[in-house]
Amino acid sequence: MKRYLARRLLLLVPVLAGVSIIVFMVLHLSPGDPVEIMLGTQATQEDRARLRADLGLDQPLHVQYVRWLGHVVRGDLGRSLWMRRPVLGEVLGRLQATLVLTGTALLLSTTLGIALGVASATRPNSLLDRLSAMASLFGASMPSFWLGIVLMVVFALWLGWLPASGMYAPYGGGDLRDLLAHLALPAVTLAAASVTIIARLTRATMLETLGQDYVRTARAKGVVERAVVLRHALKNAMIPIITVVGVQAGYLLGGAVLTETVFAWPGVGTLMVQGILARDFPLVQGCVLVVALSFVLVNLAVDLLYAWFDPRIRYE
Amino acid sequence: MILTTAWLVLLTMILGIGVTPLPAAAQPAGTLVVGLVAEPVNLDPAQVTDLNSNRVGRRIAETLVTFPDESTQVVPGLAESWTVSRDGLRYTFKLRKGISFHDGTPLDAEAVKFSIERQIRPEHPFNKLGKYPFANYFFGNVKAVEVVDPLTVEFILKEPRASFLAILAAGAASIVSPTAVRKFGADYALTPVGTGPFKYVSWDRGQRVVLEKNPGYWKFPVKVDRVVYRPIVEDQARLTELMTGTLDLMVGAPPDFVAQLEKNPSVTLLRQVGAHVWYLGINNQKKPLDDKRVRQAMNYAVNKEAIVRDVLKGTGSMSAGPVLPGTWGADAGLKPYPYDPARARKLLAEAGFPNGFSTTLWVPESGSGMQSPVAMSTVIQSNLKAVGINVALQTFEWGAFIAKLRSKEQELFALSWMAGNEDPDMVMYPLLHSSQWTPGGPNRAMYRNDKFDELLHQARLSTDEKRRAELYRQAQRILVDDPPWIFIDHEIQTAAHAKRVQGFKLHPSFDLRVETISLSR
Repeated sequence: MKRYLARRLLLLVPVLAGVSIIVFMVLHLSPGDPVEIMLGTQATQEDRARLRADLGLDQPLHVQYVRWLGHVVRGDLGRSLWMRRPVLGEVLGRLQATLVLTGTALLLSTTLGIALGVASATRPNSLLDRLSAMASLFGASMPSFWLGIVLMVVFALWLGWLPASGMYAPYGGGDLRDLLAHLALPAVTLAAASVTIIARLTRATMLETLGQDYVRTARAKGVVERAVVLRHALKNAMIPIITVVGVQAGYLLGGAVLTETVFAWPGVGTLMVQGILARDFPLVQGCVLVVALSFVLVNLAVDLLYAWFDPRIRYE
Repeated sequence: MILTTAWLVLLTMILGIGVTPLPAAAQPAGTLVVGLVAEPVNLDPAQVTDLNSNRVGRRIAETLVTFPDESTQVVPGLAESWTVSRDGLRYTFKLRKGISFHDGTPLDAEAVKFSIERQIRPEHPFNKLGKYPFANYFFGNVKAVEVVDPLTVEFILKEPRASFLAILAAGAASIVSPTAVRKFGADYALTPVGTGPFKYVSWDRGQRVVLEKNPGYWKFPVKVDRVVYRPIVEDQARLTELMTGTLDLMVGAPPDFVAQLEKNPSVTLLRQVGAHVWYLGINNQKKPLDDKRVRQAMNYAVNKEAIVRDVLKGTGSMSAGPVLPGTWGADAGLKPYPYDPARARKLLAEAGFPNGFSTTLWVPESGSGMQSPVAMSTVIQSNLKAVGINVALQTFEWGAFIAKLRSKEQELFALSWMAGNEDPDMVMYPLLHSSQWTPGGPNRAMYRNDKFDELLHQARLSTDEKRRAELYRQAQRILVDDPPWIFIDHEIQTAAHAKRVQGFKLHPSFDLRVETISLSR
C-alpha cells in the first residue's frame, strides 16, 4: 500500500511537468502579449521595449521556460507580471475559497445525487423517478452561468433571501452563517449539473445490482428492505459511482471558473480569468499547476476509496 | 442512512439560510460600499494602466495640478501656483505649505522630484521596483526635476509642450511618500501612502479594498468614514447588489440595464459624457481608402444616431471629431456628418467606385472604453453595405487585436481613446500626427496631413490658451474635410447610487471622486 502510494505520488512529477509545458506553450503561442495588454493603446515603442526586457519576455521561449522551471522546483512560482506579487501566495490565498465552494458543491451533488438515484431505482417509473429524469435533463443541459444568474435574480433580487455575490458581507459578517448564506447560490449552481449525472448513474447501477441473486437471497432471508437497499445493494454499486464522483470533482474544480466569476467568489477561478485576459503567464501557470495538482490528488483518493468499498481490491 | 443524511443536509440549508430571510446587514452610517467592474491590480498610480486601479489609487495619492469636479481644465492641486518660462521649457511650482503624507512626513519639493525621477531615471535606486508603463509617454520630454527650495520645484523640459500641465494632472504624476517607498520597496503598490482624502487600510484579494478617511485632509473635511470597494465582474450581480441595498454606488451600468435602473425608485442613475472617443479607424495609406472622397462617403454612410440610440441606449453622444464638444479646444461650429447614403453613393461614384468595393473590418470583442464593439461594428457593416461597400467583419480578443494593429495590414478597425482630460493635444497629436504612425506611436490610421501636422506643432509651442484653441479649431476643420476615420461617439459614462448617497458627480476624466460624497441617514 505504502509503495503504491509512493509510486503514485512520484507519478505526479511527469504529469505536472507535462501540464506545465502544455500551458506554457498554449499561453505563449496564443496571440497578444502581456506587454501589449498592460500598456494598452497609448504605449510608445520605447515603453514597450523597456517593459518587455524588464519582464524577461525578450528571451527565447525555451530560455523563459527553463528559467521558470528552475524557480518552480525551488518552490517559487515567480511574480505575477501584472500585479508584481509572488504567484504562490496569490494562488494559495485564493485556493481556500475555491475548495470551500467545490467541496460544498461536491458534498451537495454526491449526497443528493445518490439519494435521488437510489430513490428512483427502488421505485422505477414512479412519479419521483420521472420527475428526477426530467430534472436531470434540465440540470445537464443548462449552462451554469445562466442558472447562476436566474438563481441570483430569484433568490437575491426578488425574494431577498440570499446575498447576490461575494464570500462575506462587505462589512460586519465574517461568521459561518454569513459564509453559508453567500455560499448557497454558487454551490447550488455549481452542483446542479453534477447532481443529475450522479443521480442517473446511481439509478442505473442500483437497478442492475438490485436484480442480482444475492439481493434476492438477502430478501429471502428476511432482511428488511431498507438494509437490503443500503447495505447490500448500494455498497456494491458504489465502485462506478465513486469513479464518476471523482470525475465530477475535477469537473467542479474547472467549472468553478464560471461560477466564481458570476458570483464574484474570490477563488482561483476568478484569479485565473484575470490572468488569462492579461496574459499574465506566471499567474496562469501557477493557477493551472495548483488546480492540476488538486485534480490528480482527488483521483488518487478515489482509487484508494475503491479498496475501502470493495475489499477484493488491493494495492501492492 | 445516506438518504437521511441527504435530506438532513438539504433541510439545514433551507432552514438555516433559505426560509428565514437574512436580516439585511445594517449599513454602518459612515461606510460607503462601491461596486467596481473589476478588481484593482496595483495601487501605485505610477504603475497603473487600468481604470479600476486608478479609481481607487487616486483617492490616496494626489497630483501637483488637478481638475475641478465638473471639468478637466487644469487648476491648482498640491501646488498652489506655478509659472512657465517664456520659452515654455521651465515650469516652476510653488507647493502648498503644511501638507503631510498619511505617514506623517511632509510634502516637499524632494518628494516631487523623487516621485517623477523614480520613473524616468534608470539609475534611480527605486526605478527597478515598478514597471512605470507610461514613463516615456508622459515624461519622455522631461530633462530634469530640480529642487529650488523645500516648497519650490522646477521641471525642465527638452522641448516645449503646452499640454505638460495636463500631463501633470494624470495619475502617473501622483506625488508619493518617498519614506513609504523606501520602507515598502516593491510592496509599495500594496500599501500606498499619499496625501489624498483617503488612507489605505486593507486589501482582501478578490473581495475588497478598504480605505479610511484622512482626518487631516488639506482641501476639505471628508464626510465618509470608510470606503469599501468590491470587484463584481458580472453585470447582473452588481445590479442586484445595488438594488438590494448592499452596494451604495456602482459604475458602468450596461446599456441594457439603463432603462431598468431609471425606473427604479430606490436608486439614482447618473450620466456624464467622458473625455473619450470611439472611432472606426481607416488605413489612410491603402487603396482605395487613401482617397478622401471615399472616407467622406463612409462618414455619410454610417447612421451614428441609430448606433447611439439603439445599440448604446443613450450611453454615447455622436461625435464630429476627436475633441470633446463643449471643452475649450473644441470647435463649437462643428457638426457631426449627417446620415446621407445618397451623398455617400455619389462621392463613391466620383472617386471611381460606383459599384462600391470590398474591405475588412477588425473588431476587438471587448476592451477598456470599447463600449459594445461587435454590435456597433455590425451596424456600421450593414450601413456600409447599403452604399455598396462590402465589409468582412473579423473579431479578435483584445490582446491579439492591439498586437495585430501594428502589422499595418489593417483596412478598417474599431478603436477608442481615453485621453483622461480635455487638452486637444492629448488626443489629436498621438492619434493623428504623422510622427506618431504605428508601430512607433498610436496613429494606427496612418493619417498624414501636412497642414494639420503644422497646426498641431504650433499649438504645442504656444502656452497661450486662446491661441492654442484657435489653432486646434482650424485643425478640427481639416479633419472634417479630410477625415482620418469614421467618427462615431463619445462615451456617456453611467453610474447608479442608492438614495442615501449625496453629492456625488461623475467626472469627465472617468475618475470616481467618492470624497465628495456624504451619506444621509
